[in-house]
Amino acid sequence: MNTMIIDGLSYALPLLIIACGGIFSERSGVTNLALEGFLGFGAFTGGLFVALTSSWFANGSTVPMYLAFLFAMLGGGVYALLFALLCIKFRANQVIAGVVINILSVALTGFLTSQINSSVFGEASNKFQLGVSPRWTIPGVSQIPVLGAIFTKFYPFEILIVVLVIFLNYLLYKTRFGMHLRAAGDNPHAVDTAGISVVRVRFAAVVIAGMLAGLGGMCYAYSISTNFSPSIYFGAGYLAIAAMIFGNWKLMPTLAACLIFGLARSGAYQLVGYLKLSSNFTNLAMAIPYALTLLLLIFFSKSNRAPRALGEIYDKAKR
Amino acid sequence: MTETIVEMRHITKRFPGIIANDDINLSIGKGEIFALLGENGAGKSTLMSMLFGLYEPDEGEFLVRGQPVRIDSPNQAVALDIGMVHQHFQLVSNFTVTENIIMGVETVKRRLGIFPAVDLKNSENKVAALSEQYGLEVDPRAVIDDLQISERQRVEILKMLYRNAEILIFDEPTAVLTPQEIQFLLQIIRNLRDNGKTVILITHKLDEIKQVADRCAILNRGRLIAVRDVRTTSTQEMARLMVGHDIAFTLAKKPAQFGEEILRVDKLTVENEEKYEALRQVSFSVHRGEIYALAGVAGNGQVELADAICGLLQAKSGRVYFRQTDITQESVRTRNLRGLSYIPEDRQSVGLILDFSLQDNLVMKRYYQPGFRKGLWINREHWQSYAKRLSQAYDIRSANGIQTIVRSMSGGNQQKVIIAREIDQDSDLQIYVQPTRGLDIGAITSIREKLIQERDHGKAILLISLELDEIMACADTIGVLYHGSLQTEAPAGQLDLETVGAYMMGAKHE
Amino acid sequence: MSKHMGKKPGWFLRLLGYKKTQFLTIPLFSIFCSLLAIAVLILLIGKNPLTAFQSLLQGSGWLPKPNYAAGKSILTDLLDMLDAYTPMLFASLAVALAFKAGLFNIGVSGQMLLAGFAATVLVGYQDFPAGLAKPLVVLLGFICGSLVGALIGFLKYRFNVNEVVSSIMLNYIIQYVVGFFIQTRYVDVVSRQSRAIKAAARLTLVDVAWGNMKLRLPLLFIPALLVAVLLYFYLKSTVGGYELKAVGLNRQAARYAGIKVGKRLVSSMTLSGGLAGLAGVTYYLGYYASIKPNELAALGFDSIAVSLLGNSHPLGIIFSSLLITSLDKGSTYMNSTVGVRQEVSSLVTGMILLFSACSAYMRYKVDASLRLALAGFAGTAAALPQQDSADGSGKGGKKA
Repeated sequence: MNTMIIDGLSYALPLLIIACGGIFSERSGVTNLALEGFLGFGAFTGGLFVALTSSWFANGSTVPMYLAFLFAMLGGGVYALLFALLCIKFRANQVIAGVVINILSVALTGFLTSQINSSVFGEASNKFQLGVSPRWTIPGVSQIPVLGAIFTKFYPFEILIVVLVIFLNYLLYKTRFGMHLRAAGDNPHAVDTAGISVVRVRFAAVVIAGMLAGLGGMCYAYSISTNFSPSIYFGAGYLAIAAMIFGNWKLMPTLAACLIFGLARSGAYQLVGYLKLSSNFTNLAMAIPYALTLLLLIFFSKSNRAPRALGEIYDKAKR
Repeated sequence: MTETIVEMRHITKRFPGIIANDDINLSIGKGEIFALLGENGAGKSTLMSMLFGLYEPDEGEFLVRGQPVRIDSPNQAVALDIGMVHQHFQLVSNFTVTENIIMGVETVKRRLGIFPAVDLKNSENKVAALSEQYGLEVDPRAVIDDLQISERQRVEILKMLYRNAEILIFDEPTAVLTPQEIQFLLQIIRNLRDNGKTVILITHKLDEIKQVADRCAILNRGRLIAVRDVRTTSTQEMARLMVGHDIAFTLAKKPAQFGEEILRVDKLTVENEEKYEALRQVSFSVHRGEIYALAGVAGNGQVELADAICGLLQAKSGRVYFRQTDITQESVRTRNLRGLSYIPEDRQSVGLILDFSLQDNLVMKRYYQPGFRKGLWINREHWQSYAKRLSQAYDIRSANGIQTIVRSMSGGNQQKVIIAREIDQDSDLQIYVQPTRGLDIGAITSIREKLIQERDHGKAILLISLELDEIMACADTIGVLYHGSLQTEAPAGQLDLETVGAYMMGAKHE
Repeated sequence: MSKHMGKKPGWFLRLLGYKKTQFLTIPLFSIFCSLLAIAVLILLIGKNPLTAFQSLLQGSGWLPKPNYAAGKSILTDLLDMLDAYTPMLFASLAVALAFKAGLFNIGVSGQMLLAGFAATVLVGYQDFPAGLAKPLVVLLGFICGSLVGALIGFLKYRFNVNEVVSSIMLNYIIQYVVGFFIQTRYVDVVSRQSRAIKAAARLTLVDVAWGNMKLRLPLLFIPALLVAVLLYFYLKSTVGGYELKAVGLNRQAARYAGIKVGKRLVSSMTLSGGLAGLAGVTYYLGYYASIKPNELAALGFDSIAVSLLGNSHPLGIIFSSLLITSLDKGSTYMNSTVGVRQEVSSLVTGMILLFSACSAYMRYKVDASLRLALAGFAGTAAALPQQDSADGSGKGGKKA
């Protein structure tokens, strides 16, 4: 039970932050299927940073990890600029552009990882080794039955994400920027006539999406595999989109959706272990979050309302 | 004349393939109501969009309060105290009135001394005070989605006043209002002038100009034709200047000869996509040789009614009969084949496939019929000859003949494509929704004549329009829809404009 | 934009702007741009891009290599490439067909895997004679693929489930479930893949002796080309094709025209899935003879690039598939001879995708600046037909 909650949270929270990226992008009116690419590229940048600077830090230092998160956000944000350019400047079909960005991300990071490994480190590998993230337990509260698991053996990034999500909630609903962003996803012309640049708002939204997804990708790189490898593209970006649709493009319901995914996944793993099934059955357990997503989408796609101007290419002349 | 507040010198604006404004020179006095008159496409909106900073002129300059200015953004315009109410309201539908009004000029307070947040509470008070001052009644906390059209317009006006606009531009403000609401708006406009504001009114409705404007400028095909004092100019003369030649204000129309009943709608209730009952218990019937016109303010169930009759929306309850046959459960295709034509309101997204060629659009209701196909294959020769015949008969103009992509055609010609296709099916029942919206006077007259001609050929016509002029000019029977129910129904001769207007506002039948 | 005014449009602009050949010039321009970008990258690594590109062509059987191993020649290389080309063509046609109906079938790899797995288990491991086994494999592949496609189409139509998300979810589900079955029941302990299928069921004839060479003959190569031509005529000249395009371009208008939109959506997705199924069997039971568990074929995603590049036009896709497959097949040779990593080929594909995604913008920009340039060249814009003058003035108003 405890393990299920511990693992579930460490899976759900990065998913949440990626989904938050989706929310920012889509609430501003840009359909974002590129989250998968963002998170991969972000994780790549963070991983590259760790690999290049590994000699600078003492063994076991956690500083590179925190810097890796920072760099992952930077990398994701920069890569998202490309997507923003395609969708906003070059008026590409946003769905196609998203998929293009994902495919390019897989190709680019795959190539660069191998190339850098061979030419800088002289080894044939498609991975960057990361350190091991520490896990914290808060004494006292962790002893509470069931709920205590939340405060047990959690990754530092989980706190980071919780704080960030609170900040994002404030940013989206309380500030001028957030107001303009939400307006751009509903009626971009109104934003334009109010003297605010739709292009700038959407660029910012997409870059934020890239940063958040990049961070989420880095978290997964630390929690799932302790390295950066092509296996980072396991579909979290798409799961996040499903969570966002399920959450009706709002932060709190999306959190609920992510928790359901996370707990279902860790629950299925626990079940395989509990029933003493062979390790092959983890394959089936792996399929569960995806199947669940599909099921949830069937129930929620019809009733949920996407932002009104979602996917529309904004054309100043069309009014 | 008093001091000049806005002056335009040699303003010229070109778009690919068209000169929207050609060397316009105008000066507008402070505190007057100045009307810009012209047909659709005459360049009125473009000219004002430049004054508001949405486009920049290719040549010429603007002077505001005597100073030459370059207005390259709406921000710049607002800084010069210029405000604009657009034809399509620029409102965020899921925001409140206040949020919409303050967007772009929000005041910010600090939360916990650090975090800047939009100060909604203060703004709400300010908006309430403004709306009281100018008699613009609206709840600052209401969400736009829940507001009536006229209320949304008031929000737009408040938006300008909140920014301390001195020069207020109204782009076709009365197009979506009932006669009573129009009077109310014109009064607001007079109030604004009396408070020292300058109002520029873009319109093609002569009677409104006659009612409120002090002076008017007339544009035609991008050129400034004349500037006249409204009091000393007749409506006839303004119309002549606007169109370039004399026009008739009345349509020649024989008395109607009603025949058998073609359409009967019986207690029809329809839900729209948001599961809202857009139409409630509506019953009426249309006969051969009758133009049944439905009046109503936009969004009172007209589109849903037309869609339900044509099979695009499912009836929740009630029945639709076509020549005494119950067609309530039939598919769109079956209804078409029975003899039902439909000219939808939204021609670009419903009536046409913009990326198809003219030919492919013209055969859209016929392509599956014998003669148009050979088994699984299409009969291309027949498609071509059919499309050629139709485009000739209906004077559809296009750059590359029948292979022209419809997206590249002008709005008027696009509308002709739909009308040609629908009328050519020779259907017993023809439904027209807003058939003349956005067209100029010449095209409007020709479409209305067509409608009456079809009636005289013994067709049943259901005309749904927001333009009361159109309803009064064409109808044999008038029905009024309000909040999804039929308010009243009477032969055209028994209702005058004001009465219809009152019903459109929801006045009960007595 | 006004800077173009008054200048005669340059040859380049006129070339790209010429409507009749735009279908060709714009994709070629995209390819050129991406090759240029990759050339720069190869230069940065310190290799010669020209030799790299030459070795790409040598590796895929277009240019002769300097020397060949025994039993190999340019012909064997070319046939190898065509063997890989066959599933690519099917997969790209699947994507294109869905595109035409306004759907995005990103689930091609999943549909391929399921079709390949079902055919492997139900036919590949049985003792059927070749005359029965091969048609059965094709049929089974088509059916399995189309079932997945139908499911995606149905979810889209009935429950409004975004087809991109649902097909990706199905990709993962199929990947893990098929992986589970392979690992528990059909695994070859040495290769860690599924056991090889019987030769009778294989859709590629391997080791066909011809002179002193052993050739691979992809049996479905010609049928694949035929399918492309068939699809072309289906879209261009049939009633069904007209309806499909109408649904793809404007669903609302299609409904208004009396077309059963739901039926069309589901049927096109079914057909698209079926084509993906054919790609699956030609890949897993033709090009290969076994399945690697827990992995989706990259080909399924590359087919999106191919389809985009070919502008979703069945005949265009015949050529764009050839290009992408050649790049992919040639990259191994390039790696071994020039020392440029073979990941470069997927990078080229990615770059082509990137530029193709901008092609609509390129077309738009080229047209707009060409029009402006022409207008300026003609002296005054007034010489151009005014849009409004065509409006309604035909009938005119009557004299009062």
